[in-house]
Amino acid sequence: MIRTTNVTTNGLGTLRTLRATSAATFITAAITVAGCGSVNTTYTRTTPADSAISAQTRVNDIFQQFFLTAKEVRMNRTKGGPMEVQIDVENNGFAYKTFSYRFDWVDTAGNVIPSQLSVWKVTNVPSGGSTVIRAIAPSDDASDFRLQLRQSES
Amino acid sequence: MHIRSVIVLLPIALLAPVACERARYVDTGSPEGVITVGNVDMQDILKASSGMLESLAETGVLKTAKNKPAQLVMGEIVNDTSSRFDVGEMTYRMREQLVNTGQAAVVTTFGNTPEDKQAQEVLRREKFLKGETSEPLPDPDFSLTGKITQVKRSAGDTKQVTYTFRLTLTNLRSGLEVWTKTVDMTKLGNKNAVGF
Repeated sequence: MIRTTNVTTNGLGTLRTLRATSAATFITAAITVAGCGSVNTTYTRTTPADSAISAQTRVNDIFQQFFLTAKEVRMNRTKGGPMEVQIDVENNGFAYKTFSYRFDWVDTAGNVIPSQLSVWKVTNVPSGGSTVIRAIAPSDDASDFRLQLRQSES
Repeated sequence: MHIRSVIVLLPIALLAPVACERARYVDTGSPEGVITVGNVDMQDILKASSGMLESLAETGVLKTAKNKPAQLVMGEIVNDTSSRFDVGEMTYRMREQLVNTGQAAVVTTFGNTPEDKQAQEVLRREKFLKGETSEPLPDPDFSLTGKITQVKRSAGDTKQVTYTFRLTLTNLRSGLEVWTKTVDMTKLGNKNAVGF
């Protein structure tokens, strides 16, 4: 009985040891994966900005959507007249992400305004970090935008 | 024999599409295009012109001109990099946006080395025939000048180049700089690649 208890105790100990080892391995692996180039971010704002607007996303790449998240979309009118959009993009993955994006601006009728400002731009965001992508409308007539985001495979 | 042929040819057939990439069209300035470490690429030029135009629109500096739309003279923009490309690739895109949307008019008949000498001659002759000898012919508000520079560094085989595009708008009535903008592009690597 005592032996059995001991065995049971030993078994539990082994199990605990195994669990502890697994947890330590997992944490070490997570630190190893996330540690390289990861960033910690501190911010004071806890509620959406006054100029924040709701946005709709059509998801074609589920992994991109999972790891790269548009957290907040803000629109303001600039001093010069045209609209400015700022989008906070967060990288929730374990790896450094490179992605390209392009803004197309539309007028009140919903038509795209062709312009030399709508070009693909590339930016990077480290693991756990965030970046702000912004664009200025080509004219005062632009009232809304469409954003295309494309992630690098590497 | 037949099976042997299949065994020999199958890997070749599988590798063939990898080895040669067929020519295809991509959007100009698309991230799919070729990215070089030691040269200014089309993507860089488009990003630079877009960044400059965004800044001009954002500040509204062109709306402060006496003329409506603002009259602009294209000054010298120096390419001080080792990459050989026409600066007009950037400036003409900017002009297209500014002129065609009515934000500015580019004066092509200004100065001793006008962009359009024939138009300047015609304009002067017309003035002369009408008896209007007093200058100036056009009355521009701003001149646009700039410089493109590079900073190259390397660590082992890895090269890093930062290309900086900088433009300045000078008010021709006050002689003061009223707008300036820099757009940086840093590329790092040891060989050219096709984008994503």
